[in-house]
Parts: sequence; C-alpha cells; structure tokens
Amino acid sequence: MIWLPFDTWIVIIGALCAVACALPGCFLVLRKMSMMGDAISHAVLPGLAIGFLLTGSRSSLPMFIGAAVVGVLTAIFTQWISRFGRVDRGAAMGIVFTSLFALGLLLIVQASDQVDLDPGCVLYGAVELTPLDVIHTFHFVGSEIEVPRAAVSLGVVVLLNSLLILLLFKEFNLSSFDPSLATTVGINATVMHYLLMAMVAITTVASFEAVGSIIVIAMLVVPASAAYLLTDRLSVMLGLSAVIGILSAGLGHLGAITVPLWFGFESTTTSGMMACAAGFLFALIWVFSPRYGLLARKFRRKGKVENE
Amino acid sequence: MLKCWKRIVVFSMALSALVLQAAEQKSYKAVATVGMIADIVREVAGEHAEVEGIIGEGVDPHLYKPTRKDVVTLSQADIIFYNGLMLEGKMGYVLVRVGRKNKPVYAVTEEILDQGGYVMTDEAEHYDPHVWMDVQGWIRAVDVVVRGLSEFDPEHAAYYSANGAAYQKELEELDAYAQAVIASIPENQRVLVTAHDAFNYLGRAYGLNVQGIQGLSTESEAGVQDIETLINFLSERNIPAVFVETSVADKNVRALVEGAKAKGHTVKIGGELYSDAMGVPGTYEGTYIGMIDHNVTTIARALGGTAPAGGMQDKLNHAH
Repeated sequence: MIWLPFDTWIVIIGALCAVACALPGCFLVLRKMSMMGDAISHAVLPGLAIGFLLTGSRSSLPMFIGAAVVGVLTAIFTQWISRFGRVDRGAAMGIVFTSLFALGLLLIVQASDQVDLDPGCVLYGAVELTPLDVIHTFHFVGSEIEVPRAAVSLGVVVLLNSLLILLLFKEFNLSSFDPSLATTVGINATVMHYLLMAMVAITTVASFEAVGSIIVIAMLVVPASAAYLLTDRLSVMLGLSAVIGILSAGLGHLGAITVPLWFGFESTTTSGMMACAAGFLFALIWVFSPRYGLLARKFRRKGKVENE
Repeated sequence: MLKCWKRIVVFSMALSALVLQAAEQKSYKAVATVGMIADIVREVAGEHAEVEGIIGEGVDPHLYKPTRKDVVTLSQADIIFYNGLMLEGKMGYVLVRVGRKNKPVYAVTEEILDQGGYVMTDEAEHYDPHVWMDVQGWIRAVDVVVRGLSEFDPEHAAYYSANGAAYQKELEELDAYAQAVIASIPENQRVLVTAHDAFNYLGRAYGLNVQGIQGLSTESEAGVQDIETLINFLSERNIPAVFVETSVADKNVRALVEGAKAKGHTVKIGGELYSDAMGVPGTYEGTYIGMIDHNVTTIARALGGTAPAGGMQDKLNHAH
C-alpha cells in the first residue's frame, strides 16, 4: 500500500467533517434527537425538487440552497410538533421527515419525472473524490500543495460551529440540561433550541454536499454517544467527541485501503469505513469505559456485593 | 517536523515516479468512466495507450460510489473521457474541475450535443444521457474520442483516425444488423417494456415503442395506475415479453408480469438487457458491440422476430 498526498487530504476532510458534525451532535445526543441527521438526509428531497422547479437546473447551488432551507424547516417543524402536538421528539422527527420525503416524491413524479433528481445524484458528494476538486494551490517548503474545495467549506463549518458553541456555551449548556432553569435565569431556551437546530441543519447539508450522507449521519451520533460514556462534563464531552471523530476518520481511511487487501479485494469506500471505524471505537468505549463501561459496571457491582 | 514532512513528500514523489515508470511501456494512460466509452478508447488508441475503465460491469453509473483506487486512476490519467449529461452524477462536476487544471477531459455525449438536435431531451432541456443505445450515436462518439486523442497526441493523429474509421465501419455493420433484426418483429409487437427509461435512443433509432415502468430518477417509483395502464396496453397489443436490466432491480418488471397474469394475459420475461453497464469483462458481452448485439438479438427473439441465437457474429452465449 502506498500513502499518497491525497490520502492525507481524504483523512483531513473526513476529520473536518467528523468534528463539524460531532460538536452539534453532542447536543443532539443530550436532547435525545440523535437521528436528526438521518431525518434531514431524507427530508432534503422536496428542497431539491423545488430548487429544480424554480431554477430549472441541477447545478450545485440551487440544490444546496433548497436542501439547506428544507433542513432548517425539518428542525423547526419537529420542534413545533413535539411542543404543540404532545408527542416525543423521536416521533415528531419521524412524522416530519417521512411527510417531507413523501412530498418530495410527489413533486418529482408530478413535475420532473423525466429528470434524474435523487440526492445521490445531485447533492451528495464523495469523500474519495474531494482531493480532485482543488480550489487553491500554494507552495510550502518547496512542494506544491493543492487545497480541495471541501476542506475549505468544511473548515468554515467547523470554525463557525466552534465559535458559536464557545460564545454561547453557558446558554447551550443550561438549556440542554434544564430548560426551565435556563428560562428563569433569563435564557430563552426556545431560541437556543432553534439556533442549535439551524446549526445542525446547515452543518448536515454542507457535509452531505462535500462528503455524502452515511459518514455525516454516523458522525452526528456516534462520537458524541461514545464521549457521553466517558464523561459527565459537557466541555469534556465536546472535546472527546471531536477527538473520537478525528480518530474514526483516520482509522476509517486506513481501514478502507488496507482491510479489503487482506481478503484479496481492492480498496473499499472510505466513507463507509469511517462510519464503521466510529462504530468500532464506540464498541470499545462501551466495553472499556472506566466509569460507564460494561466491565467497569460489572466489577463495581461485584465490589459492592463483596463489601456488603 | 518540517524535515520529516519534506522527506515524506520526496518519498511519495519517488514512489509515484516508479509507478509511472511501470506504465511507461505504453506511452500514456487514458481513463474512461463507463465501459462503453473505455471500449471506444481502447479501439482507437490501439497500442499507444493503456486504457482503464472506472465503473465496472452491472453497476448503475447514476449511483456509483468511487473508491480510493478510482482517485488514484483519475489522478494518474493523462487523458480522461466521460459520458456527461449527468450520467455520472456529481462525479461529472468533479471531472469538469479536473479538466480546468490543464488535463484533457472530454464529455463524450456533451460534445455530440453541439451537433444540432441529435441528443434527446424533454421540453425543459434536460438531456437523456443514454446515447450509446443507438449505434449511430456511438459512431459520433468515436469521432469525439478520435479528436480528443489526436489533440493530446498529434504525432499519431493519422493512426487514431484510421483506427476510428475501422471501428466505425464495424459499428455500421452492427447498426445494419440491429435495424434488420428489429424490423423482423411483427409491427404491432414492436414494444419494449423495461424497468427504467434507458432505451429511448434505441427506440428512436430502430422504431421500437419504448415504455419504462419507473421514470429516469431512481428515486421515483412506479404508480399503481402506471402499472395498470401498462398491463392493459400489453394485453391489447398482445405483447409476448417484457425485459429486465442487469443494473436495475427487476422488482417492478416482475410485478408487471404477475399483474398481467392476473388479467389473463401471459407475458414472459424476455431476457436481461444491458442498459447502463456492459457484461463481464473479457467476454463478448463485455464489449460495446457484444452488448448491443445481445440487446437487439434478445429483444427480437423474445418479441417474435427472427434473429440468430448466436447474434450477429455467433458469439453470444445464450446459456441462461
């Protein structure tokens, strides 16, 4: 196996995507809304259809804008339904994304059946291809470095998400754990919730566009859940989830280009392997976590019994 | 740390130089996305280029997920040919951007687009990418490849156009064969029912009425009413067979057969057609000519026409 410069870029882009998703993902996990990414991945369909109907083209920008708008709407509708309809958030999400997806199907069948408009074709990128799409070239210690477009766009998303979380850390923290307390100390928990959901929607759609769906859905949930097993502090959880995300990106790409070789196949898809690596890390942490891990709990219970 | 990076860069450059040297026996490397285009490039470039296709047999190019190996292939390619018209989905956009970086990249069907009204479209200017289904269309594609290779390697331009002309002659024979066998089908049975709309060019070129069960998009689904209308149409015209495709799930086609049976009209599955991908590499069906030969022979025989079981060149393998 030969490690080429673009392998480094694939890992960097995977890691950026992982961090961009893991940060808001922590709040999703705490609020029991982990499947938001999956919901948005289905709900974008009407956005694509409307973007197409309005502009008549399948180029990236109208598709992206349509998807982003519907992504934010998914979050808003979910909140409405769970608040006013007295159903839990999981069910509300289910109602919203299936309805939106169905609406998208209707729009496509009615208006543009002659056009190939599925998200896999017009919206989702592939992390493997990102290094070929170069936006900027510069020289660094004598070698030419080509910066892919996805690295820049995901870098911006990571930066925005971290800034927002840093600036509003106290507000996010309080409104996630105790919305009523947050309201009494003067934080509008509803506004914080919409802000967070908008962040999730934009992060998700931007990452879909850059690297495809499966890795985004995985990175919103898995690193945050794994970090949740390791700590009780929100700040530590955010940091750990980012680290776990970066590790899964690196391990995932390495796995994608080495593991299939052991079985006599050629390299497999990187984004799938990154999601698998995240699952693998989660399993490790679930078993070995010092506080909430399977083993730790078993031993603690044993210790308790002996002490008695 | 810096030094370490530098060393890695130098090392990887040396390695890629080695890799390049290994490919040096043939003077350059040409890459095509789908097999149908790779086949043309192979015929035209002859001994001068090492040709590699990216999307394999039985794979729907609309949904193809590239792997790292493909990126290696694309970044080592000296010249790239792809279909275009959104056949390759977002990979097409990436290839356009690769093309802006001084690498010759040709969208084969989009070049044909300029030739006035050949490429099929609906009212809203959305083009149908499945040009290869009409052999005359693919004869035009050969011109694009000949021009592309000659611009890249002008030294051998005469060789390429000779190869191109020879291949086009073979394709003309294929076209004549297709015309003849499809024309042998009784006129009211010249109806081709398949899973998705990949055969419009074939229909136009050879006079078949083409009915797709689901639309162009793989996300859209067949409505109950669409299936009803289609079943009525089949029994009215007494159409003996419908067809499945190698790269598309056959669920809808089977539903159609069951539905027709319930109405008392027996329709059989006429065979598997190659729509978006060719057969296994190394076999006759794994070439463009074999693919089309297989398709038209299968269609003609199933719909009541006469065609030799072995196809145009008696190379078809009808074991299945």
